[in-house]
Amino acid sequence: MKTILSFLKPFKLSITIAYTLTFLELIADLLFPFFLGIMINEGIMKNNLNTIILWGSIMLAVTVITFIGGIINSYFSSHVSASFALNIREKLFTKIQHFTFEKLRLYPTSTLVTRFTNDVRQIQNTIFMALRIMVRAPLLVLGSIIMAFIVNFKLSMIFLITVPLLIAFIYWVLLKGSDMFNKVQESVDYVNRVLQENIAGMRIIKAFVRRDFENKRFTLSNNKLAEETQTAFRFVEASMPILLFVMNVSLVFILWIGNKQIIAGTTNVGDVVAIVNYALRTVMAISMFTFLALAFSRAKASSERIEKILNEPNAQEKDKNNNDQITDGKIEFNNITFTYPDQKTPILEDLSFSISPGESIALIGSTGSGKTSLFQLLPRLYEPDTGTIYIDDKPISTYPIVELRQSIGYVPQNPLLFSGTIADNIKFGKEEATKFEVEQAAKDAQIHETIISFPNKYNTIVGQRGVNLSGGQKQRLSIARALIRRPKILMFDDSTSALDLTTEAYLLNALQKYRCSMLLITQKISTAKRADRIILLDEGTVLAIGTHNKLLEESELYQKIVESQMEKELPYVK
Amino acid sequence: MSSSELKQPFQYEKIPFERLQTKKEKRAKNTAGTIKRLSMYLIEEKWKLLLVILMVLLSSTLGLLGPYLVGMAIDDFIVTKSADGLSSLIIVLLIIYASYSLAIFFQNYWMIGIAQNTVFTLRKQLFEQFHKLSIAFFDKRQQGELMSRVTNDIDNINNTLNQSVIQIFSSVITLIGTVTVMLILSPLLTGITMTIIPLLFLAMNWITKRTGPLYKLQQDDLGELNGFVEETISGQHIVKTFSQEDRVIREFKERNKQLQLSGFWAQTISGYIPKVMNTLNFLSFALIALFGGILAIKGYITVGVIVIFTEYARQFTRPLNELSNQFNILLSAVAGAERVFSVLDEEKEESDEASAQELSHIEGHFAFNHVSFSYDDTLVLKNINFEVQPGQTVAFVGHTGAGKTTIVNLISRFYNYNEGEILLDGFELKDIKRSSLRSQMAFVLQDTFLFHATVRENIRYGRLNATDKEVELAAKRANAHRFIERLPNGYDTILDQDGSSISQGQKQLLAIARAMISNPSILILDEATSTIDTITELKIQEGLKRLMKNRTSFVIAHRLNTIQQADVIVLLENGMIVEKGTHDELMKKQGNYYTLYSEHRNKEV
Repeated sequence: MKTILSFLKPFKLSITIAYTLTFLELIADLLFPFFLGIMINEGIMKNNLNTIILWGSIMLAVTVITFIGGIINSYFSSHVSASFALNIREKLFTKIQHFTFEKLRLYPTSTLVTRFTNDVRQIQNTIFMALRIMVRAPLLVLGSIIMAFIVNFKLSMIFLITVPLLIAFIYWVLLKGSDMFNKVQESVDYVNRVLQENIAGMRIIKAFVRRDFENKRFTLSNNKLAEETQTAFRFVEASMPILLFVMNVSLVFILWIGNKQIIAGTTNVGDVVAIVNYALRTVMAISMFTFLALAFSRAKASSERIEKILNEPNAQEKDKNNNDQITDGKIEFNNITFTYPDQKTPILEDLSFSISPGESIALIGSTGSGKTSLFQLLPRLYEPDTGTIYIDDKPISTYPIVELRQSIGYVPQNPLLFSGTIADNIKFGKEEATKFEVEQAAKDAQIHETIISFPNKYNTIVGQRGVNLSGGQKQRLSIARALIRRPKILMFDDSTSALDLTTEAYLLNALQKYRCSMLLITQKISTAKRADRIILLDEGTVLAIGTHNKLLEESELYQKIVESQMEKELPYVK
Repeated sequence: MSSSELKQPFQYEKIPFERLQTKKEKRAKNTAGTIKRLSMYLIEEKWKLLLVILMVLLSSTLGLLGPYLVGMAIDDFIVTKSADGLSSLIIVLLIIYASYSLAIFFQNYWMIGIAQNTVFTLRKQLFEQFHKLSIAFFDKRQQGELMSRVTNDIDNINNTLNQSVIQIFSSVITLIGTVTVMLILSPLLTGITMTIIPLLFLAMNWITKRTGPLYKLQQDDLGELNGFVEETISGQHIVKTFSQEDRVIREFKERNKQLQLSGFWAQTISGYIPKVMNTLNFLSFALIALFGGILAIKGYITVGVIVIFTEYARQFTRPLNELSNQFNILLSAVAGAERVFSVLDEEKEESDEASAQELSHIEGHFAFNHVSFSYDDTLVLKNINFEVQPGQTVAFVGHTGAGKTTIVNLISRFYNYNEGEILLDGFELKDIKRSSLRSQMAFVLQDTFLFHATVRENIRYGRLNATDKEVELAAKRANAHRFIERLPNGYDTILDQDGSSISQGQKQLLAIARAMISNPSILILDEATSTIDTITELKIQEGLKRLMKNRTSFVIAHRLNTIQQADVIVLLENGMIVEKGTHDELMKKQGNYYTLYSEHRNKEV
């Protein structure tokens, strides 16, 4: 909890004020019987109406003051808990944004999302409660017990046994409880994951009529969550009757000992009454402890989950302090071997080739031959095992990561769009882009006409995955998003697959004027042919490299690919 | 710095009251309705609930009886210094305390059970509801926001149910008891103590009018933040490659700030409640002292009554305090419940028409008669007419956005057509149960969705009772077997949900295997092979051909081979059919298809 508690540091003053105000309230609480005493002794007994009115008014005044203090307290407490939560969420988000891609894969999205909202709120609620009621109960118990010892040490001896016992017990409940709530939160994660899959994959689930199947899966996780929550709550709440019973038994014990001592004449009536009174107060306060124990064990479990993320070592992506810029877009892959972190066999093996500035290269190869993996190395989403990639003759690791990625326009295979307008999505590539730039990018991506046919044009909202657009439209939007950056290096990861050939041809024509090095993965020979050179990739190695004609002459596999595509078209051509 | 920290709590931007109070009457009605609806879930388990109430009664009574007996013990055994009968009183006390603890234990134990059952049911209903909603519902909403309803909102309800019900009952019981005793002691002073009730009412009215909507706002903001986080994390590869981390963080901060603001006000204003109660507590104390003092001077009451009364006034405000606190907590649960219920009340487009029936066997004869469809007020398909014989293959051709995918969505009834009729084997599509229709269809869609599960389980998703052998056979026919064998754990390799451990093309191969294993009467291939290289495609093509034989197949593809072999080619443009026929017919006609085709051919050769 240490890391989490450090988030309270900036609010030291507010916390102090909140506690002071709560304390003042407590004092007022204790003062009122005292005022009443004066009123009775000085006013009623002496038949003095003015004294009664005076002390009555003082009480009313104190009431007004505590009211104002209370309201101010509310402001300070909420400020602490709301800002505390704000800061934790912000730190978490920033941390996750700076995770390496590898690290991110360790945490499913759903568990990260749960941590953000559910776990943070658990802690926030506890902090708010702690600021307002926590001081009262422990102070009351502590005060009562101290007072009891002052009044009569011998009679209070029983507390020496029960109090440490109770403290140990509460501590044990807290530890055990937080373990249980840790499990509960894990179950929340799991429920979330099934849920997320169901929402994301609803189309497939419906298509295969798997409602019952999914229902069973969800019920299983839902059941587990309900059971675990039930056990955890029951465990912590069962501690209260036990605490009460122990305290009540010690009360009875005091009565019994008190009776013995009174008969023996070693103690007086007043002492016994007072100590019984203090014991009763302690019993009252203890019912609040369960509440606290519950809140604390939940908060502890949640803190641990958040801390796990916050304490992940920082990514090594230290920003280089040089101003090296990518100006030409010359790329060189030098003996690159790469294995995915969770796999054994390398996906790329000893790969070498180079691209001159402004050149376009098509990557072609069978499914799983390493095309996308190769793409991910360039913006340094992953680091190769061995070998170096050079851009403009410098290793890519020497560039600041922002500069490197800034000069790349990446169009992923899966055209994921974000919630927002079409314009927002295009501008994701370049935030400060003007309206003209947005439209130009859209025109070049061959999507402008489509956009202006929508009723809201560029302000049309696209859903989370841009579902109300067709696959091809989404692809072209994600192309526009890359083009608007005017990158030095443009990368298409089979991003024209959903485009028909006419549209694709227009697109490729429009790209001519961008004057950048271009890498494009494709399945279509017709697309590949338009590139300056073609790289044929097979099982992670470069099988052949050169122009269409050169490959046609040299590579058997390439011939086969061409044949496979020609064969399909030719027989029908008359 | 310290002086700015002093000001900070008062510098939060005010949320205009008007914004919260848009539909005042409606809101009050809503709140009452929501509470009523929520309590219906509790009443489901009326026996358990009755037991809880009994236990609360028992524990409240025993809670009062204990101290009373202790008082007696002091009078009888401490003050009088006698030990006769002390042991039996002590035994009685021990029994009372033991039963008191047991009663509390059971009231909690059962209440937690009820609360968890309720929450379980709510989650279950919400989940089932998701499956009954139309695809259009999901197309318009953010995943994370929907998820927030199942987790955050329901969690809110959970917390409330665990504590509030017991608190409310025990408070009411204590309140009734106290007022009775007070009335017996002095009706006049009771009247004075009661003057705080109108004040309490006014204050609570002022507060809850604000906190109710504020809680709702807070839950909405939380939902939105949830949605944003979910989206940016699942789209992290784009954020990273575009190096937009800073921007995303900034946008996050805005939403975070929004949540902080609504959270701040919800907490601050609900924080008034204990303060108001405390103040009213002091006030009644002061009033009793003041007026009691005056009355005592006049000789109407004794000092003893004043002392007792101030104690009882405390007893009286404590449960009131509890009640108003609980009311407030209840409001935050209501805000959550409202959001849950609003999804439960969404129209189920998925509920089949009353006339819908099961079709045990589908031949696969399709006829589209004057079908039109609009989405969000835009006409997407206009007057579509065509016919397919059982076992035929239909190919849809046209530019992106021409409406090809929409037709497929209508056939599978993801969307409901507005006009015209679609006949399957002579039955209107709307008269066939969706489950019966879809269970005889297999899909390979543009977006390949795989589950976080093993490769085997993912393929088996097409037919749950398929054996391991059948799974492998399907994988072989889809040409996926070779790459699966090379995965670290073969068929038992667990796939990431976003499938980042295998390539896009491999995902498509798995989707094809999944369709193969389901052995459907109708096959829908929407860009099924777009990311598969042509050599692999050639190999699958055979399998696909085998698969399509004797099954009515609808195919969307940009590559021409599948299209050429189709029995019917439908050329779409702007949602209308421009041409239809076989490849040869259309080529002879030398119309749009001919132009389109020649263009392609020129480019490809």
